[in-house]
Amino acid sequence: MSTLRGSTAVAGIGITPHHKRGTGGPALKLALEAIVAAAEDAGISPADIDGFVSYGSERSEGQKMMPALGTKELRFAALAWSHGGGIPGALNIAASAIATGQAETVVVYRSLSEYDGARLQVDVAQNDTAAQFLVNGLDSPIQMCAINTTRLIEGEGVPAETLKAMAQAGYHHAQQNPAAVGHGVQLTAEKYENSRWISEPYRLFDSSRENDGAAAVILMSAERARDLTEKPAFLLSAPLGTPAGWGPLEGNQNPLWSSGFSSVAKRLWAESGYGPQDVDVAQIYENTTGMGVAAIIDHGFCTLDEAGEFITFDNLIAPDGRLPINTAGGNLAEGFIHGMGLVVEAVRQIRGTSTNQVRGCSLSLMTGGPGDAVVSSALLGTEETL
Amino acid sequence: MSAVFTQEKFRGGIAADDKYWEALADGEFRLCRCAQCGTWMVPAHYRCGACGSWEQVWPLVEPLGTIYSWTRTRMAFPRTEARADDVPFVTALVEVDGTDGARIFGIVVDTGTAPHIGDRVRGEIRPGTEKSFGYPTIEWQLVDAPTPAPGAGSTEGARA
Repeated sequence: MSTLRGSTAVAGIGITPHHKRGTGGPALKLALEAIVAAAEDAGISPADIDGFVSYGSERSEGQKMMPALGTKELRFAALAWSHGGGIPGALNIAASAIATGQAETVVVYRSLSEYDGARLQVDVAQNDTAAQFLVNGLDSPIQMCAINTTRLIEGEGVPAETLKAMAQAGYHHAQQNPAAVGHGVQLTAEKYENSRWISEPYRLFDSSRENDGAAAVILMSAERARDLTEKPAFLLSAPLGTPAGWGPLEGNQNPLWSSGFSSVAKRLWAESGYGPQDVDVAQIYENTTGMGVAAIIDHGFCTLDEAGEFITFDNLIAPDGRLPINTAGGNLAEGFIHGMGLVVEAVRQIRGTSTNQVRGCSLSLMTGGPGDAVVSSALLGTEETL
Repeated sequence: MSAVFTQEKFRGGIAADDKYWEALADGEFRLCRCAQCGTWMVPAHYRCGACGSWEQVWPLVEPLGTIYSWTRTRMAFPRTEARADDVPFVTALVEVDGTDGARIFGIVVDTGTAPHIGDRVRGEIRPGTEKSFGYPTIEWQLVDAPTPAPGAGSTEGARA
């Protein structure tokens, strides 16, 4: 079991606006904006960042940013597998580097822009999609997620209403967040139900957006974070992994209805010493609503049988739902920087600065890209949770 | 007609399944099995994780199975633009009889309605076209066959 519990904390967060696709300018510049903002937020000089960790197909490598950040020495750099599944795992890599003395101040970040990149589905998935999918008309991640979610709904009997609840919760929270792309968009049940089909069982509002932007968080030792900031968000656990029977198996994963978190969730609760009943708020990466539903089930918040009863709009909204999720709007309604915005929001909840703040929040969960070949989850906590 | 699949090979996934596509091109449906312990290896791989053997066999398999999951695509996506005229089209994940539950994707011949998990299907091998990037494919057709006898294959896909 990991011995990193509480040894590091997030001391700084930074996020650019969620620009419309193709309008955000160069990804490298966006990365710099987010990282400099995170450094200022932490009260350090950007030049002091000595470690860079990202995931997926990040192209704004630390070594490219050094001249602009004034980096004194790059001491650590790494990329977590696989796609969005690796986000909390990137935090874990950063924590490992800090705890073992390889680096002191590590930024975990993601930047993307169609100004100089392709659409995410091309940039990320182009050379990572097996022939079995492509030759049979399956191109986009939403179609592949649809295959999993048909098993969830038709195969396991989880009500399709859970998908609508996920979508509506995100849009509901976006109404309080002026920075959200979905701010001002009321997603009524009628609007959801009348939206066009994309790939059954998914409609337009079941799918995440794509934006140009960047987001970053700065990790350092818990001790230093306490000196620098009022409310560090301590990293309690952030395991990355996949069980036997899961991975890039072209529809042969078991159980296929799942999002692949069974082994990671078990380690998350064992390492952190907490369980789903203790979590105050969760940022659930939803490339599609149904995969988010499966992630909630995978993490033990409810069983397949209880999902219809548990995953309802009322239960998913702040401040009083049983499990408020995606409180800045999530990938659906806040905007999509390959899921990195969810980490920033998870930290805001620990600080008490979310636009949909959960009262007395002390344990904040972020689950990585569901259904990915390798996945990860992170539990952040306040000083009292250590 | 676009180039044959070997000239524009997709690099995604494990991609140890050249023999699968070569067999389809020859009009045969063959799946990968460990030569030593008999474990079905779908998707194919270079080494059997169960027994450690590096040898595989590719037995002929009857293209008969049960729909395990499916999606009906309702819009044309960038890389599958060639299928724009086919929208909506159904892609199914089929659990193949007699393979301990190995699943293979394929387009389902249009019946005008959505299929169901548990529907029985028979595969027909189709030559590569622009829509399949030159890869030969297996296309599934709904059949009204009785469910296979116990022991003939996994029945997991039929439980819904």
